[in-house]
Amino acid sequence: MSAPTAPLAAGGEQAPSRATLAAVDRLRRSLDAIVWVRALAQGGVVAMVVLVAARLALMAGAPVADTPLLHTAWLAVAAGVLAAAARRWRDGRLDRTRAALWAEEQAPRAFAIVTAVEPQRADVRALLEPRLSDVPWSAVAGRAARRALLPSLAALIVLSAVILLLPEPAAIMGARAAAAAARGEGAGSPMAAPGAGVGAVTVVVRPPAYSGLPVRTERDPASVSALVGSAVRMDGRTAGALRARDGDAPLAVSRDDDRWSVSLTMPERPVVATLSAGGRDRLVLLTPVMDSTPTVTLAQSVRDTVLRAPTGTIALAAEARDDLGLASGGFEYIVSSGEGESFTFRGGTVGQVTLGGARKATLRADLRLDGLALGPGDIVHVRALARDANSLGGPGVGSSETRTIRIARLGEYDSLAVEGAPPAEADSAALSQRMLLIQTEKLEEDRPRIARDSLMTRARRISSDQTRLRKQVGEMVYMRLGDDVGGEHSHFPGDGHEHGAEGRLDPDDILARASAATGGGEPVALDFHGDETPVVAVNKPLLEAYNHMWDATRALDVGEPARAIPPMHLALAALQRARQAERIYLRGRPPAVVVDVAHARLQGRTRGEDNARAPRPASDPAAALRAERLERALRLLAAGDSARPDAAALDSLTVLRADALTSDAALAAALGTALDRLRAGEDAGAALRRARRLATGAPVTRGGLRRWGGLP
Amino acid sequence: MSAGLTGVAPDEPRRATTATVASASRDGEFVFATAQYESGDWDSAPLVPANLIDSVARYTSIPVAPTGAIVPLSSAALLRYPFAWLTGHLPVRFSDAERRNVRLWLERGGLLFVDDHNHDVDGAFHRTATEEIERTVGPLRELPNDDALYSAFFRFDDGPPTTSHELNGWGDNLVHEHLLVARIDGRPAVLYSNKDYSSEWGYHPDSKRFMAVDNTRFGVNLIVYALTR
Repeated sequence: MSAPTAPLAAGGEQAPSRATLAAVDRLRRSLDAIVWVRALAQGGVVAMVVLVAARLALMAGAPVADTPLLHTAWLAVAAGVLAAAARRWRDGRLDRTRAALWAEEQAPRAFAIVTAVEPQRADVRALLEPRLSDVPWSAVAGRAARRALLPSLAALIVLSAVILLLPEPAAIMGARAAAAAARGEGAGSPMAAPGAGVGAVTVVVRPPAYSGLPVRTERDPASVSALVGSAVRMDGRTAGALRARDGDAPLAVSRDDDRWSVSLTMPERPVVATLSAGGRDRLVLLTPVMDSTPTVTLAQSVRDTVLRAPTGTIALAAEARDDLGLASGGFEYIVSSGEGESFTFRGGTVGQVTLGGARKATLRADLRLDGLALGPGDIVHVRALARDANSLGGPGVGSSETRTIRIARLGEYDSLAVEGAPPAEADSAALSQRMLLIQTEKLEEDRPRIARDSLMTRARRISSDQTRLRKQVGEMVYMRLGDDVGGEHSHFPGDGHEHGAEGRLDPDDILARASAATGGGEPVALDFHGDETPVVAVNKPLLEAYNHMWDATRALDVGEPARAIPPMHLALAALQRARQAERIYLRGRPPAVVVDVAHARLQGRTRGEDNARAPRPASDPAAALRAERLERALRLLAAGDSARPDAAALDSLTVLRADALTSDAALAAALGTALDRLRAGEDAGAALRRARRLATGAPVTRGGLRRWGGLP
Repeated sequence: MSAGLTGVAPDEPRRATTATVASASRDGEFVFATAQYESGDWDSAPLVPANLIDSVARYTSIPVAPTGAIVPLSSAALLRYPFAWLTGHLPVRFSDAERRNVRLWLERGGLLFVDDHNHDVDGAFHRTATEEIERTVGPLRELPNDDALYSAFFRFDDGPPTTSHELNGWGDNLVHEHLLVARIDGRPAVLYSNKDYSSEWGYHPDSKRFMAVDNTRFGVNLIVYALTR
């Protein structure tokens, strides 16, 4: 049945029949679907080709990419999408006319269908419609789909089979590792791991939450740095048994078929994780990164100060920094009150703020002195503090320098710094007289128990000392009369000189002589005026002391200490009065005490004891041990092949580096550089020489040159 | 009891910038060094140096300078002295320069003796000084009473001798049976005392003649220990 007649177009042309249009539209939709499916299939083929190529490249020995974006799966997906998009774009837009053209090409019966889908004359339409109604549109579309899709589908099937037949990447890596081990390649190389069992190692480091640092993954590392407290997980695939230890301590290993996993928390010390499988070891050095404490710098106030009154406000400012983040900060003060031996303390904080993890912050506060109840002499010690957010070992606290604000004492501004004069000579005489008195009293106490000869000997010894003291006092007296120091010798008997009879001094006579010397009238006691010359002063108490000493001397000479004691008391009292009469009251720093070393030498009444002293150990025995270990490792290196360093030597250097991390950072760094170069197959001579210099310290003399690495 | 703070002109910081070397010191002589720090009353025991110098001369043949030296802890001159005495009543806060210099000096073999002149474990000196020592050197531990210090010259079988202030109940009313020690590589670097030897030894050496038992003998052990450990 013919299609309903379309309305007449302008110029006598009729629109194409709906049936024809519908058939062509169905064909067009079918072709559109086929084009899309073909593009997707070809994209899939491209992706499969990439996967196969990568697998073959891995089998051929290509390195494994560490960056996730370069992993094979991502590459394949990206390639497939790009290929599909490119194919679809190349096919272009499929409209009705193109579909009709395509139908003309594919189906002879669809001759002139392009004309049929356009407005035509009625006679042309009448001619074409019957012919087009017999076109097998479904078969045409089906053939097109088969031609377009079958090759791609076949390719997909073949490539899938190839991928299934090829070994897994882990197995390929294991085989490569085994091959590398068989060839004796070094530990830690991305291409090799000792022993067929250990295989490739992936280390995942998850830092503590408070640090805000991202999770990090490293493949086949020789060493990994991790913040203390980080969760460290080592993964891999091993067919056989695997053991893990840290030094001598075993590490727990989790297994899931051939997958293994070792988890630990990064301690504060280096960890040398030894993975053992198939009789071979693999070392992974975990080096701790310590969370440093915040650094705080006090910007205000810039110096200590003394205030007259405890009023006002002290502006405080400080800068704080931390490597990971600050949690809080503020200022701390301590108020010290008291003097001498008695002090009290109280403290507090001001300007406390929460810093929310910022790595740098400025702290500000005002310290109101009125609120601290300060008194004269009080001291306020102020410093800035900052804490980090370390929630594992406790927050690290950093502090600034301390500033002191002192409140002046009441009389402080009236003080004068006066250098004290040396003690008057009378002081030393008083002390000596007191000692003589003690000795005489002791002699009197012992007198009933000792022989007469012993009594006399001791009494005369005291008498001799008393005489010397008396002479000193006499010299002081005559010095003040203007005579020379040897005045007593010249003018007074008493010590055996031929100048007159021995006897006590007559104070009146002395005063008369003093007045004659001054040219004055009535003898008066004049003040002592320091070093004024001529010195004319008479000190009656000194004269009294001199006479009492004389009496005591006479009593001691006859062996009667009991009779000597009362005049000694009187002499002592007179000297005390003389000292007080001429005392200069001092203010300021007391004179420095200079010890008479020669006089005190070995005068102690007790002796030290002989002690067997152990020989002093070497200043750093650990350094000597490290140097020895380095020498042994270097000998191993020298004995092996320079192109492929001995694995044992590398392991020894790795363990030595771990030990040096905490005690000799420079040596650890030098060893790290040397190990990196050795594993990369590069020349590590310079780094090893530097490590040796650091380990051995100062040059030492040896019997001969040592053989190492080609050096003469 | 020792003297208190000396008179200081107002508005002047209580600091000195140079060490005062004993005027009569010669090469080879032991010079008693008093540590000067910026934050407190470092000079609260002015007679201790002379007293211990006298004791060293009295009991040993060690050449010793007749006067001591005052050495700022931030000064490189500290490296010239094997032993330094640090005391005070007030809080101790090392500046960065002081901390660095003290650490360097201790690593090179110096011995710092710190004495709490308050004799008070609750006092600010003890709290702050121990904190600074732990920051600079490391943790303080009890020194065993059979350490070589107690037989370095005189024998003290019961450990550090008690002081009159401990026995009188002064300060924290405790008799401290141990000194504390902070070590570097196993070697004593800082000795810390709560026993107030600054008051016990803070008198003129001439007064020693009136004592039946010289209470400064332990000071001789400290100095001999510092020179021979």
